[in-house]
This record gives sequence, structure tokens and C-alpha cells, in this order.
Amino acid sequence: MPEKSALLHVTKAALLSGLDNALKNYAIAALTNAKGAPQYDYITKAQEIDFRYTQTVLSPKKFFFPTEEDLLEYQTDGKIATKIATNPTVLFGIHPCDLHGIKILDEAFADGNGDPNYLAKRENTLIIGLDCKAVCDKHAFCYRVAAQEAPEGFDVMLYFADTNDFLIKIGTPRGEDFVKTYLTTASAAADAWEKYRHAKKQNFANCAPFKKLDKFPEIFAQNEDHAFWQKEGSRCLSCGSCIMVCPTCYCFDVTDELELNLAKGARTRKWDACMLSDFAVVAGGENFRHSATERLKHRINRKFNYLMSKHGRSVCVGCGRCVRACLADISPKTIAETIADDKE
Amino acid sequence: MTNLNLQPKNEKLYFPEEAEILEIKDFTPKERFFRLAIKSGRSLGHFPGQFVEVSVLGYGEAPISISSPPSKDNQFHLCFRTVGDVTNKLHTLKVGDSIFFRGPFGHGFDGKILQRMRNQHLLLIAGGIGYVPLRSLINFVVPERKNYQHITILAGFRTPQDRMYPDELKSIAQLGENVTLLETVDKSDVKWQGNVGVITTLIPKVELVPQETIAIVCGPPVMFKFVLKSLADKQIPQENIYLSLERRMKCGVGKCGHCQMGGVYVCQSGPVFNYADILNNRETF
Repeated sequence: MPEKSALLHVTKAALLSGLDNALKNYAIAALTNAKGAPQYDYITKAQEIDFRYTQTVLSPKKFFFPTEEDLLEYQTDGKIATKIATNPTVLFGIHPCDLHGIKILDEAFADGNGDPNYLAKRENTLIIGLDCKAVCDKHAFCYRVAAQEAPEGFDVMLYFADTNDFLIKIGTPRGEDFVKTYLTTASAAADAWEKYRHAKKQNFANCAPFKKLDKFPEIFAQNEDHAFWQKEGSRCLSCGSCIMVCPTCYCFDVTDELELNLAKGARTRKWDACMLSDFAVVAGGENFRHSATERLKHRINRKFNYLMSKHGRSVCVGCGRCVRACLADISPKTIAETIADDKE
Repeated sequence: MTNLNLQPKNEKLYFPEEAEILEIKDFTPKERFFRLAIKSGRSLGHFPGQFVEVSVLGYGEAPISISSPPSKDNQFHLCFRTVGDVTNKLHTLKVGDSIFFRGPFGHGFDGKILQRMRNQHLLLIAGGIGYVPLRSLINFVVPERKNYQHITILAGFRTPQDRMYPDELKSIAQLGENVTLLETVDKSDVKWQGNVGVITTLIPKVELVPQETIAIVCGPPVMFKFVLKSLADKQIPQENIYLSLERRMKCGVGKCGHCQMGGVYVCQSGPVFNYADILNNRETF
């Protein structure tokens, strides 16, 4: 909870004109409908921003961990250079689920072996969050994995007080600098925070977290033979869509590509997916995860067991993207509700 | 107010080093040996059982076991089977050519395990190309054999033509003293005088005190299941068994996800595991 003194107020008009000013110094990516579908994309003017809580197909991880990215450039005679492409960027309007997702990726890519490409982009990006006052759609289940609030992971956080008014919470010194430089703010009204919290609480009134969320790693470890795995796995098409849209999936493949002259090339990292049938194949041809059921179990265990133990929190943030994308209607929410025997 | 608090970057995480091929040997039409020298002159600084990510610019990277024991100079050995893009290209390289590599990576036979092996009976069991990762340990312990009760090496190959490091096998067999080498082939030829049959046929022949034996196993997945059963028959405690496992580590630094075995990243916690630590892991074999 922010201190009342730390809360600021900004009008939508002041926010938009501030962002227009910031566009002179930053690339700004925000939720926009400019290309006909809601997505996080670079904007050219603040008017393009869509302030609704619509979920995007792809998560904002693409800004730090692009679908495809060169790690090295080389000449085949042996000259090699690291390649790290980054510009000062503002990510605007990131919702709590995705803020949790970015925090998890930060930990995963730092994790003792600080990934230079991810971290360079991350350090160069200022994140302005936008809290969700209500659940975005029927597929989202952030509240079940306790991700509907984001107490950290942002530089600046906005709360939609009213149609034309936002409350501002500062998260970091650089966030404070940004607000001071670009936004004309006032102190928030004394009861503004309480009013906002009250409205959000009402909207999330029937939204309970999993009762035994903290125990998920043990529960999932004990239920490797649960019949539901086979039931869901047998419908899985192994298309990998769930992974492409997931804000916390970060598996990748690394390949070399040569230019046509065969003298120069690049080592490129691309998104990969543990749900694809050949993901765990080794050189000798052995496939260590040969059925769709095993692969589904692996992916869901990464979220609720393996990586959950490592990060100390659910690695599924309940954004609902994979549920929307799945052609076979497989949902981690349904799986967790069945395995943990805790239906909503 | 909190800062970003991101961990420091490792700018060289994906940046490979150059090594020159000093010597090439072919054991079989598909399995080739390289002796390499690191261009910078540094020593590799590895433990037995670790691996490197080998690359040929333009062709990609592949994880390959280091087959030489730790050394102070800048040389190390690799032996690979030609099965993919990278190894096919490696197969065309000549003495004097360069390869690139990152590493060493992974958890090998570290100081703690090596210390534990002292004064024990070492039972090294290698199947096929599984001899290669174990060679880094074999060539570390055999020259210092007086530090161990006994060293028994069991090596199985498909046919006599598939034997790895045949000259070394011959000289190890002649050492006598407290080193025993038992070999077997799945299918013999007219010249082969030795044992024929799968590697588990050799295990009952070994005389050992279970509590004072440390077994180390490396081979294809199917071999582990049978060898572990034979070791259980010999009553070797599970915590006295070490396994060196194969996975496709694409990054080597615990990120890309390819080598994950249940919740374990083989490139970080392995490829060398104490069997007792992974008993309940469903994705081991």
C-alpha cells in the first residue's frame, strides 16, 4: 500500500501531453488498437493508447526477449562481436499480471548468469504500470494465483480513478524523475486511494485465490499420476501456442545463419517451446518427453512446481492468454483446480 | 522506494573462444577425436565430467563432453559422433583449423566427489560413446591408482570396430596392479577373443565390497536401467552411484530449457548426478 503522501494525481490530458513530450526522448510502447487488434506496440502519439483492460495476444516479454534476436555477429574467418540492440524505451500500461511476469523473467535471466541481451533491454526500459480495476475477461484468473495486485516491478504505477483521472504511485527513483520531468501532477485527494481500493475490492468480490496456492509445488509433485493429465494431454495438439503467448515462458533455441556470401553470419536466439514434440530430443535421437501428456505436465509443472519452488511464487500469473490461444481448450486454471481439488 | 536491483550482466555469456585443432584421430567412421589448444593460452580449468558448447561459425553450437582430464596447459580433448549439423561440419575440419567453444559448463566430478572416491574401489561403467565423458575421469584416476583400493573399468561397445580409444584401452589392460579393464561387445567378429554380450554380463564378475565401492555409469539411456539393476543386485548403495546423463544443452547456462529433466537443469546440476538425488525424477531415463 502506498503512503498517502506518495500518491499523486494526474489528469488524462496531462498524461497524454506528458507522454507526447517523452516521445522526443524515448520509444514508447503501449497497448494500442492502431493495427486493428489490441497489442503492445510502439506508438507515434499518445492518442493511440487504448486504456481499456483488454488482454493482448502476445505479452510484453517480447520487448526484452524478442521472438528473434541476434546474440553474435561474426565473419567466418573468426572475427566475432556480441550484438546487443537496445534503445531507451517506455513500456506504458502494463497490467499487474504482466508486471509479475516481467519480475519472474528478470529473475530467470539474471539468475547467476546475467543474460547480457535481456538485461541490457530491461535496464533501458522504464515501466509504467496500469492497475486493473476489474477482471479483464472470463479467461483471466490472476486472482486465483494472487497476481491481481502488483506491489512492485514498476517504475511508475497508474490507477484508473475515474474516466479522466489517474492516481500515480512512484516505484523507483528513475520513475520519480520521469514523472517530475514529463507529467504535471497534483497531490491526490485524501480519500482517493480508499475510494479506488473500495471500487477494486467490489469488482473482485467473488475472486478468491487458490486455498493451497503456497503448497502447489508439493501438491503437483504428489499428483504426477493424476488421471487428468492424460485426459488433457490426449487433446493437446502440441502446437506450442500457449508458450508463444505466455508472459513467463522463456525457452529458446540458438541457431547460426549465414549470409548468402557465406562470409558473414549471425548467431540468433529464437523462441522455442517445450510443448513441441522434438523439444527434448538429443543427438542420438532419444526423445526424453515423447508424449503430449508428458509435455503438458512438464509445462504446467514449470509454472506450479519446478520454477515456483525456485522463484517462491506461482510462475503462472493468470493472464489467461494461453487459455484464449489454445485450440483444444486446455487451461492451467482448470488443471490447477482439478489437481488441487479447489474449483472456483 | 526500490531500485531495479537486477543482477549484473555477463557480457561474455554467449561469446565463444577460439581453439586450434592440433591432432585428429578417427576411432570409427563416425567417431572422431580432436586434441585442441585454446588460442588465448589459458587452461580450460575443468573438472572431469564437464562439457563445452562447441561451435563452428555458420553452423551452430552443440554440447560435447570434455574427454581429457584436468590439465595445467591450454590443451583439451573432445571426441564426438557425427550426427548433426555441427558435428558434420566438425568432421570436415583439418589440423590447424579453428573451432569455437564456451565453457566448461555443468557439474562434473568436483573436488568433493573426487575426495570421496579416495581409498575406495572405483567401478567405472561405460557404454559406447559413454566412454568419452568417463575418459576425463579414467585418465585422471588411473595415473594416480595408488590412491584407490582398486579401479575396475567396464567398457561395452557394439562391435570390436566401435571401440573408442583402442590404444589406451590396450595400455590400461596391461597396467595390472590395482587396475582391471573388462571389455565386452554386443556382436563379435572373427578376430575378437573377448567377452560377448551386453555390459551387465560383466558386473557379476567384479569382486567388490558394496560399502567401499563407488560406481560411475555413462552410456545410452537404455543401458542405465539394466546397469542400475545389476548394481542393486551387488548391493551397492544408491548414494555410492554416480550417473553422467545426456541432454541437449543448447545454452549451457540454465536458461534455454532444453536440458530440463523434471525440475532439474542438467546443464547446471548435472550432467553428473548422484543417483540418490534423482531417484524420484521421472524424466531421468
